[in-house]
Amino acid sequence: MPTEIGGLKSALIRRGMARRDFLKFCAAMTAVLALPSRYVPRVAAALEGAARPPLLWLEYQDCAGNTESVLRASKPTVAELVLDVLSLDYHETVMAAAGHQAEKSLMDTVEAYKGQYLVVVEGSIPTKDGGIYCTVGGRTALDLVQEIGGNAAAIIAAGTCAAYGGIPAAAPNPTGAVGVKDLVNGVPVINLPGCPMNVQNLTAVVVHYRTVGAWPATDQRGRPMFAYGSRIHDDCERRAHFDAGQFVEDWGDHGHRKGWCLYKMGCKGPETFHNCPIVRWNDGTSWPIGAGHGCVGCSEPNFWDTMSPFYERLPNVPGFGVEATADKVGLGIVAGVTGVFALHGVASAIRAKAQPVNRSKVEVEEE
Amino acid sequence: MAKIAIDPVTRIEGHLRVEAQVDDGQVTDAWSSATMWRGIETILQGRDPRDAWYFTQRI
Repeated sequence: MPTEIGGLKSALIRRGMARRDFLKFCAAMTAVLALPSRYVPRVAAALEGAARPPLLWLEYQDCAGNTESVLRASKPTVAELVLDVLSLDYHETVMAAAGHQAEKSLMDTVEAYKGQYLVVVEGSIPTKDGGIYCTVGGRTALDLVQEIGGNAAAIIAAGTCAAYGGIPAAAPNPTGAVGVKDLVNGVPVINLPGCPMNVQNLTAVVVHYRTVGAWPATDQRGRPMFAYGSRIHDDCERRAHFDAGQFVEDWGDHGHRKGWCLYKMGCKGPETFHNCPIVRWNDGTSWPIGAGHGCVGCSEPNFWDTMSPFYERLPNVPGFGVEATADKVGLGIVAGVTGVFALHGVASAIRAKAQPVNRSKVEVEEE
Repeated sequence: MAKIAIDPVTRIEGHLRVEAQVDDGQVTDAWSSATMWRGIETILQGRDPRDAWYFTQRI
């Protein structure tokens, strides 16, 4: 058998993974990336051929929630992600080595693959008092992220903490916590916020990089457009109830049992950009709103401060219950986000207003 | 007399450093330190109590 050290094909053969399953995985990734299905063979070819880049997973001010998200994912399974798409050389929560041994393997990879390895950062980095609020192996996270991140091919900031500071940066930010982008210059940083981030999006980013040879297009907040390009509210399965003015008024009431809109209970879906309603969690079975809890806006910067209290309605909303109001809310917020998003909001507002008219026109024509 | 330090302790959630004093093959003293602090208690002050679970879940 020809040896293809590092290639995905050999990893697949070793693990006895059927080609059909591999192509299913490629198809799933192509779908997450919102690419047409004709890209599936291209994705497969790209993953099969090249050597797997070493990946260093660094944890700083974190709760390991993003690690849990990766470990508990079934599609892709952790094996698919770790063994096939990437070569995970360092991850404190799952690696066998500890102490000096662990740090040595980390620094060996940094030396040997300078400018080639990928870094995933989980957790924020404290900057106050010289960065003493987080140390690994006697060195501050501040020092480590600049050295290891600064020599990487790219950094993926997994979760809202690594992307924007997250919970440690919530007021009054006792440790001066910041996200990776505030500390590392000259290296691409892809933000995958979410509390936690969705592993499907992490894998899709890597697959995109391997297939196209470039990182996916991002918005002004460094988030890939394929995953953070549309509002939760616009893709929400409960949207029809919002449009119909059917709201949950109290936990466990008639509307809650019926699965009505959670807007009045504090849902932040109208100002949050994420593909949760499409990709979902637990192997695509459910997601927070599907389970009956409003969105807290966890993929938005500073959501711990700007979206809380989580059970209060969106601020400065005079009324609600009709489509126009929701889109005004969306537009008001979207205007502060980016031009592209603003366009999207406008488009959805126009679409929302236009659809009933179009529909009645069609009916008239049919008659 | 030797002092050993294991930092980071892996396969745990969080950041931990363990130091041990070893005399004639026996551990005579040991210290452990959590090497990461976020100040969640401080961050929680003054917030809506209904939100507390969501913050503390991240510990």
